[in-house]
Amino acid sequence: MNKIKHLLARDQWIVPFLKTQKSGFFWSILLNLLTIVAASALMFVSGYLISRAAQRPDNILLIYVPIVLTRAFGIARPIFRYAQRLVSHNWVLRFVSKSRQRLYESVASTASSIRGRFQTGEVLSLLADDLDQLQNLYLRTLFPLGTGLLVYLFVSVAVGTVNWLFMLWWLVMLTIIMIIVPTMSFLMNRARVHKQKQLQSQLYTDATDAVLGLQDWVLSGRQKDLVAQQGYIMANLARTKNAGMTFGWWRDFVLQILVLILVITTLTCVGWQFKNNHMAVNFIAAFTLAIFPLVDDFIGVNQGVSEASFYEDSIERLNTLPLPETSQIKAEKLNDTTVVLNHVTFKYDNKKIIDEVDLVVHPGEKIALLGRSGSGKTTLLKLIAADIAPLSGSITIGNQPVSKLQHQLSTLVAVLDQQSYLFNTSILNNVRMGNIKATDDQVKLAIKQTGLQPLIDSLPNGYETQMQEAGARFSGGEQQRFALARILLQDAPIVILDEPTVSLDPKTEYDVLTQIFKVLQNRTIIWVTHHLTGIDYVDQAYFLEKGRFVLADTPKNLRKTSAHFQQLLAMDGIN
Amino acid sequence: MIDKRLFKLEGIISTLIVLVFMTGIQGLAILAQGIFLARAIVDFWQNKLSSETSLNIALFALAFFVRQLLVVIKNKYMAVYADKAVETYRIKLLEKYTEIGSTIIADQGTGNAVTTLGVGLDNVKNYFQLLLIKVFDLSIIPWLILMYILYTKWEQGLFLLLIFPVVIIFFVILGLAAQSKADAEFVNFKNLNNRFVDALRGLPTLKQLGLADQYSDEIYQISEDYRKTTMRTLRIAMTSTFALDFFTTLSIAVVAVFLGFDLLNGVMTLLPALTILILAPEYFLPLRNFSDDYHATLNGKNALTDVLSMIDRPTIKDQDKLTLTTWHNQAQLTLAHVDFSYSEQAVLKDINIQVTGYQKIAVVGESGSGKSTLLNIISGFLLPTGGQINVANQAIPHLAQVDWQKQFFYMPQHPYIFHDTLRENITFYAKNVTDEKIKIATQKAGLTELVNELPEGLDSIVGESGRQVSGGQAQRIALARMLLDDQRKILFFDEPTAHLDIETEYDLKQTMAPILSSHLVFFATHRLHWLDQMDYVLVMRHGKIVEQGEPQQLLADGHSQLNQLRHDLGSV
Repeated sequence: MNKIKHLLARDQWIVPFLKTQKSGFFWSILLNLLTIVAASALMFVSGYLISRAAQRPDNILLIYVPIVLTRAFGIARPIFRYAQRLVSHNWVLRFVSKSRQRLYESVASTASSIRGRFQTGEVLSLLADDLDQLQNLYLRTLFPLGTGLLVYLFVSVAVGTVNWLFMLWWLVMLTIIMIIVPTMSFLMNRARVHKQKQLQSQLYTDATDAVLGLQDWVLSGRQKDLVAQQGYIMANLARTKNAGMTFGWWRDFVLQILVLILVITTLTCVGWQFKNNHMAVNFIAAFTLAIFPLVDDFIGVNQGVSEASFYEDSIERLNTLPLPETSQIKAEKLNDTTVVLNHVTFKYDNKKIIDEVDLVVHPGEKIALLGRSGSGKTTLLKLIAADIAPLSGSITIGNQPVSKLQHQLSTLVAVLDQQSYLFNTSILNNVRMGNIKATDDQVKLAIKQTGLQPLIDSLPNGYETQMQEAGARFSGGEQQRFALARILLQDAPIVILDEPTVSLDPKTEYDVLTQIFKVLQNRTIIWVTHHLTGIDYVDQAYFLEKGRFVLADTPKNLRKTSAHFQQLLAMDGIN
Repeated sequence: MIDKRLFKLEGIISTLIVLVFMTGIQGLAILAQGIFLARAIVDFWQNKLSSETSLNIALFALAFFVRQLLVVIKNKYMAVYADKAVETYRIKLLEKYTEIGSTIIADQGTGNAVTTLGVGLDNVKNYFQLLLIKVFDLSIIPWLILMYILYTKWEQGLFLLLIFPVVIIFFVILGLAAQSKADAEFVNFKNLNNRFVDALRGLPTLKQLGLADQYSDEIYQISEDYRKTTMRTLRIAMTSTFALDFFTTLSIAVVAVFLGFDLLNGVMTLLPALTILILAPEYFLPLRNFSDDYHATLNGKNALTDVLSMIDRPTIKDQDKLTLTTWHNQAQLTLAHVDFSYSEQAVLKDINIQVTGYQKIAVVGESGSGKSTLLNIISGFLLPTGGQINVANQAIPHLAQVDWQKQFFYMPQHPYIFHDTLRENITFYAKNVTDEKIKIATQKAGLTELVNELPEGLDSIVGESGRQVSGGQAQRIALARMLLDDQRKILFFDEPTAHLDIETEYDLKQTMAPILSSHLVFFATHRLHWLDQMDYVLVMRHGKIVEQGEPQQLLADGHSQLNQLRHDLGSV
C-alpha cells in the first residue's frame, strides 16, 4: 500500500495530465453516468408504465408521459453510450499524443550519440508499450471508477426520495459494492498479478530460448527436456491465471448476491411503504427493475480496480525517466578544432575502463583506435562526444571543455556508426537531415560524392524513393553510403567513425572505407575499427588494452617494429 | 459460428454435452427468476401479501443464486478443458518445431515462431474458454425465454423473434462497413504508428545530427494525425455496436409500450406483462455478450489457424536410413552431383566431394557464394533437391539423419546463449559431467577470465536479460560445449570469427587450433588466414565448387581460383 502511495506521490505522467485535461475527463464520465442512468430509467419507467396501465386508467393521456419517456430512454441509452466511447477514446488518444512527445523529449535529453553495446531500440519500444498500457488504465480503470462514484451519489439521492433510513441502507450496500469489495479485490489480486507478469515474461524468454536455440536442442538430442521445461512454466502460468480468473468469477458472484440482497430489500421496503397507496404502488415494479442495469457498472468498477496493479510497472518505469530539460546555451564559434585528452580516467562499477589516457588529435589528422571488445574503445568515444563525463582529467576541443560545447556538438562532431539509422522517408529527405538548410543541389552533390549516383539512376523514383523501415530496402553498404552523404552535408570538422563497416563483407568494406577517406580528407577522423583493412589511410594507429594505449605509431613504423601488428596484418591478408 | 476444427479435439463431445446441460439449467433458472420476481412484485402491487409472497421471493432468490452459481461453474469447467486442449497443442507444436528444425523458423521468422508459442497459445485458450460458453448461451437461453413469451403472449414473442435477425443483420452490415473503413485507413494507420517508433529507434542518429530537439514537435504532430485517423475509423467502427445497442434497448421500450396498451385495453393482466418485461432484457443479453467479445474471439481464431497450420506441416521422411555409431578415422562421406534450389532458384549446383576420416576442410568464397548452404546440406538442416549421398557405405536420401546428428557439433556465427547459468550453458550437450571436467573445458576454451569476472562464477545467469556476453565470449562458450562432448567427431564452423575484432579473432584462433585435431572439420569462412589450419579447401563461386585441393598447392599456383579469390577479397 505504501508503495502505491509513493508511486502516486511522485507520479509525473497520470495525475498532471488529468489536471490539465479536466473537461474531457468530466464529459467522458458524465456521459457514462447518463448511459447507466438511461438504462436504469428505461426499466424504471417501463415498470411504472405497465403497472399504471394495469390499473386501466380511463384516459390514455394518463400514461402518455411514461410512454414517451420509455421510448426516449430506449433511444438515449445507446446514443449516450456511443458518444461516451468516442469522447473517451478521443481523450485517451490526446493523452497519447502529449505523452509520446514527453516520452520523446525525456529520452532525447539523456540519449547518447555513441551507441552502447546493449542500448538498443528495445528499451524504447518497451516504453512505447508502457504508454499503450496507460491507455487501458484510463479506459478500463479510471473512467469506470469516476463513473462509479457519480452513480454512488446519484443513486443515493434517488433512493433518498423514498425515505432516509432506506437511503442509509443503500449507502451501506453501495459502500460495500463500490469501495470495500474493489479495495479488497485490488489488494488480494496484486501479488498474483505480479506473479503472472513475471511468469509471462519468463514464458517469453523460454519461448525465445526454445526457438533461437532450436538447433542446439535438436543436435544435443534433448527434445524431451525442451518440452518438459516449457511445460513447467506454462502450467504454472495457467494455474496463476486460472486462480486470478476464478477469483474474478467468485468476486462477480458475490457482487451479484449483494445485488440480489438489494433487490429483495428494495422490493420489500418499497412494497411495504407503498402498498396501500393506489398511485404509489406503481413504483414498486419501477424501483425493483431499475436495480438490474446497475450491475454492469458495479462489475466494471470492480474489474477495473482489480486490474489496476497491471499498470504499476509501466507507471513506475515511465516515472524513472528524467524530466525533459529545456536549457539552451548560445553557441560560440570555435576556430581551433584540436581534440585533447589530458590524463583522462573513467570508472564504471568501480572498474577502471579508461586509465589515465592522453591523446592529441590535430585538425585534419586521421587516427585509428583498435582493441579487443571491452578494452574501452566505445567509452573513449563517449567521453569525446560528452555523452559521459570523466572521473578525472580533461577533454577539450579547441581548448574548450566538451561538456560546455554539448549544445553545439553536432556542428563540431559528426558520427558514423555501424548502424546509422535511415528514417522512413525519401532519400532526399534522409540525406538532407545532415543539414536542413541545404539546397536540393547540395544534397544531390553529396549523394554523388559517395558514389551512389548509379544506384539512384537505377531507381524508378530516383531521389524521391522511400527508404523502408530502417532503410531495409538497401544493402548494408548502400545504407552506410547514404549515412556518409548525410555526414558530408553536416560539415562538422571532426568525424567519429565507430566500426562503420563491421557488418559488411570484405570487398564492400574496402570500397566503403576508400570512399570515406576520400570524401572526408579535409576533416579530423577518429576511427574505431575491428579489422586492419584500410589501416594505411590513417596517420596514427592506437591499440587500447585495459583502458591504456599499449601501442601507438604510424602504420608504416608499426609494420617495421611490432611483431603483433605484423601478425594481425597477416590475418587480414594484408602484405 | 463454431469452428469445425474444434470438433476434432479429444473429449470435446462429452464436454459440450455437459455444457449444454448446464446452460439449459441456467436458462430455466433465468425463466424462474423472472417469473417469481414478477409474482412477488404483483403481490405487493395488489396488496395481497401472504405466505406465498415469501415463497415467491425465496424462489426468486434461489433461481438467481443457481443462475449465478452456474456462471462460475461453467467458466471453471471450460477453463479446465481449455488448459488441457492447449497443453496438447503446445506439445505437438514443440515436437513439430524440433522435428522440422530451423527451416520452420526460416519460413516463419523468429518473432512469429516465438509469438505462436507464447501469445498465440494463450489466445487459443481464451478462444476455447470464451467462445464455447458464449456460443452455447446464445443458442440456448434466448430460445427458452422466447418459447415462454410465445406461450404467454404470442404477439410479443413474434415481435422479439422477428427483431432478432434484424439486429444481427445491422450489426454485421455496419461491422463490414467499419472493416472496409479500417482497411482503407490501415496503411495510413500503420505509417503513423511506425513513424513514432522510427523516431525513437533513430534517436542516437538524430542526436548525432543535432536534430533531436527539433523533432519533438514533429512527434506531437504525428501523434495528433494518428489520433485523427483513429477517431475517423472509430466513429464508423462503433456504429456496429451502436446498432446492436440501439435495437435491443429500443425493442425493450417497444415491448413495454405494447404491453402498456394491451393492459390498458384489458387484453392481459399485470403478471404476464411484468414477466415479459423482466425477461425481455435477458432475451438479448447473450447476443450482447457474444458481440462484446467478438474481436477477442477473432484473435483466438487466427491464432488457432496459425497453430494448426504449423502442426499440420509435413514432416521430414526417412530420417532413420543411416546406422552409424561413431565417425572414425576411416569413415567416408561422398556427395555426388548434389543440387539445392530454393523457390525455383538454384543455390547449389553439381556439388561433388569425397571426405575421409579426420580431414580438415575449409569452404571459402565471397559472401553469397553458397558456403553456408553447403554446410547446411552436409549437416542436414537443408535437404538437397538432387544428387546422391553416401555415408559409411550406405546410400541415403539426405543427411537429416538421427544418427548423423549425433556425430557432429555446429558452431554458427552467433552461437545462441540460453537465459540460464553459465554452467547450464556450457554443459548443454553433456549433462552430468564432473566439476573437474567443466573446469578443464572452461580453461581450454579461454573462459577462465569471464568466470572469475562474474559475481557468482559459473552459476551466474547469462544470455538475454541476464549478463550479456560479447561475441567472442559466446564463441568460447560454444567451444566449451564442444569440448565437454568428446563423442562428437565432426565439427562444423560457419564464419565463426568474421564479426569479431581482429585481436579477439587472433586470441580465439590460438584457442581453437588444438581443438580441431582428430576431428572431421568443415570450416566455412572468407577469412583466408584459417587456411594454415586446414588440409583441404573447397573454393566456391556462384553456388559451385570451382576448385578443390590442398591449400599449399593451390596457393602456390598463381592462376588458381583460390588466388583469384584472395585478390577479389581485397588483399593485395
